[in-house]
Amino acid sequence: MKPKAHALELRELRAGYDAYDVLQGISLHVGAGERVGLFGPNGHGKTTLLNAISKIIVPRSGSVSFMGEALESLSARRIVERGLIHVPQANQLFPDMEIMETLELAAFTERARRDRNANLDYVLGLFPRLAERRRQQCKTLSGGERQMLSIGVGLMCAPRMLMLDEPTLGLSPKLKQELASAIGEISKRGIPLLLIEQDISFVLSLVDRMYFVDHGEIAREIDRGSDVDHEEIMDMYFGGHAAP
Amino acid sequence: MSVAFNVRTLAVVALLLVGLLVPLVVQDTYIRHLFIVAFIYAVVAASWDLSLGYAGIFNFGHVAFFGIGVYATGLAAKLLGIDPWLAMVIGGLAASAAAALVALPVVRLQGIYVVLVTFAFSQLVLQVVISQSAVTGGTQGLVRVPTIELFGYNFLRDYKFGYYYVALLLLVLTVACLRWLVRSDFGLSIRALRDNEDYGVSRGIPIGLQRLKVLMFSAFFAGLAGGFYVIYLRVASPEVFSFSTVSLILSMVLVGGTSSIYGPVFAALGLTFVSEGLANVDGLAEGRFMLVAVAMIVVLLFLPGGLASALPRKRLEQPAGTGSRMRPSSLGEKA
Amino acid sequence: MTADTISTILVSGIVLGSVYALMASGLSLVWTTLGIFNFAHGALMTLGAYMAWTISDAAGLDLWLAAGIAIAVAAVIGVGILMERLLIRPFYDRRDILLITVMTTLAAMIFLEKGMQLAWGARLKQLRPIVPGNVNLLGTTISAQEALIVVLAPVLLGLLWFFLRNSRIGRGIRAVGQNPAAAKLIGIDVSGLFIVTFALSAGLAALTGILLGSVRLVTPTFGAEPLVKALIIVIFGGLGSLGGTIAAAYLIGLLEAALIFFIGIYWAPSMIFVLLIAILLIRPQGLLGKVER
Repeated sequence: MKPKAHALELRELRAGYDAYDVLQGISLHVGAGERVGLFGPNGHGKTTLLNAISKIIVPRSGSVSFMGEALESLSARRIVERGLIHVPQANQLFPDMEIMETLELAAFTERARRDRNANLDYVLGLFPRLAERRRQQCKTLSGGERQMLSIGVGLMCAPRMLMLDEPTLGLSPKLKQELASAIGEISKRGIPLLLIEQDISFVLSLVDRMYFVDHGEIAREIDRGSDVDHEEIMDMYFGGHAAP
Repeated sequence: MSVAFNVRTLAVVALLLVGLLVPLVVQDTYIRHLFIVAFIYAVVAASWDLSLGYAGIFNFGHVAFFGIGVYATGLAAKLLGIDPWLAMVIGGLAASAAAALVALPVVRLQGIYVVLVTFAFSQLVLQVVISQSAVTGGTQGLVRVPTIELFGYNFLRDYKFGYYYVALLLLVLTVACLRWLVRSDFGLSIRALRDNEDYGVSRGIPIGLQRLKVLMFSAFFAGLAGGFYVIYLRVASPEVFSFSTVSLILSMVLVGGTSSIYGPVFAALGLTFVSEGLANVDGLAEGRFMLVAVAMIVVLLFLPGGLASALPRKRLEQPAGTGSRMRPSSLGEKA
Repeated sequence: MTADTISTILVSGIVLGSVYALMASGLSLVWTTLGIFNFAHGALMTLGAYMAWTISDAAGLDLWLAAGIAIAVAAVIGVGILMERLLIRPFYDRRDILLITVMTTLAAMIFLEKGMQLAWGARLKQLRPIVPGNVNLLGTTISAQEALIVVLAPVLLGLLWFFLRNSRIGRGIRAVGQNPAAAKLIGIDVSGLFIVTFALSAGLAALTGILLGSVRLVTPTFGAEPLVKALIIVIFGGLGSLGGTIAAAYLIGLLEAALIFFIGIYWAPSMIFVLLIAILLIRPQGLLGKVER
């Protein structure tokens, strides 16, 4: 019973690479303004899920709808035009382009161009380090800076929803914190989030709900309010064989 | 790996018998000529397949080896008075030597650079031939090249009967050698390098040396064919280096399929007859090459494995599960 | 070596280099964006020259030359787009796209060359120069048309550079060449930009052909020899960077001029090739290039 459409709704989504299905029929939703996390062991389909939504790969069956609109017939760039933005994992971005160029370019769609200057100010304010290095080429950036730029790029696309794939992968705890607060800031604007993260405590602090993805399926849905302790999560990861 | 009652082997043997009988049935000199030219092109196409298809070297200078064979043999026979039989072998060796020269930069290069260097090499050879017109006859070509003799048998007066069998012999020898090569350990090693270079190197395959050998082998046969070509026609012209010739032979390799030696051979036969046939049609003397170009594109678009891939194949040569592939992936395989 | 000699070599080297730079840039643009090498580039040049000739010659009036050029360029762009759709796009997904497109563009080159031979005959044609007469540059006399080429090349290349650097589509083209997946995720129409790039390259080829056709005689294969030079340039300069390619083009132009002067026009190409081999043995990625793509 939904008074208005969810931001993102998946039904029985199946997708994979080559001959194999990685996603075994995933159903989930992200409500308007909601922040949802995806966690689970590596290689079980979390990235594939985002790729299938943003049409980097084409789903084999099932449905995806964004803001009430079905995405079946839309190409990747049309999905970006609609405002569903995917910030991929370990994005190498454009090695020979400068930070400023990249951010300006990222406001590529017409919708994004309208708010370009406002968004540019916002991104540079959110990540002052990017402002400092605006003329630096992407290939010379550190991991943390690249992640910031990656998120910045996503923001320049004027998102109506953001999907982030392990934005803090491989970063130091300090940088993780910085990015966490930046992401928190972004979600305060009311933009729904779908966030993939390995770091449970990190995810817990940022999201309202979580799905545990195991072997290409949703194994569990956890509300933030409910009592889930660390050990239970470890169980989920290691199938109940974790030593205390 | 027994080849005993393989349908394909029987078919090949049958065709060979037919080939032996052709001159007894066909009296027309022109048609015999077409067969001879087809056999020669078949040798060039099949040997190109060795470096392009089996070894996965993006060698686009192969026709230059043919041309080098033509001129080396022609000059050896005409200017140096060397016996034409020997001159043909010299043609093959000269082509091999050129291949060794080209191999130097090529074995260390990747992808597009190999294409560019081999291509530039073939253009360079063309330049040299044209520019040294005092020796090579330039754009007019080399004429009055002496021809072969065999114990007094006169090849010139028998309506190409003798030439036919020499050409057929050349083809049979080449195909036999090439097939033996690809099935030997050497053949396995070059295919390994083609399919997974890093792994092959880590297993101790000397990549530079193997590629050098492949180029030299394939060039030798092309040069030999070129040598016979000039001895047979008794003239040499820079046309052998032209893009038209390259496209014709490349299309034979593509249409025949890069995964077997026989494929390009049969494609050569077919395409030579078609091409020559078209040459006689009014207005298509040059235009036929446009059709050859279109044929190449059509094959690449729709039948990337060549026509041979449309036929059911026995997989005796390859271990189960691996098709023959062109480096870095099968023609026709999706990313 | 007298001042005259230096001047001759320098000037003819710059003229050659300008032509080569225009040509190699078109190739480099397609390579860095689509990842393929267009062997038919020379044929497109030739087509541009022939079309401009047809229009300007048929009309017999000088002001038709401008129209001829414009239409020729547009027509070649059209052919370029057709080529991209038929000969390149179908192979986007294939891992061996490079090898296949080498063959399809080679086939296209032959198709175009033979087609032009049939359409225009093998006799030599000459495009009327835009500017008549001669000019004295650094003590050497060259035709005014050649001087025009020397001036126009940097202008055209500068425009190209500016476009790639600062415009939205230009940056998009660069982005697509560097990371097509990431480009998709910011809403770029990758295959659309492929077409734009190819069209740009074809237009550049047409202009180069027209410029060259006004100082050399036009034959169906007149694009073949510059293509080989362009091959050598991109190997020297490395295909990956436009700047490197342009620098290499001028270098090779100067080198060729010097070689022609000292060892004659017949041996110069061979020498260049030998030098190429020598360089590649030392630096497999070319003189100025980055490690291959």
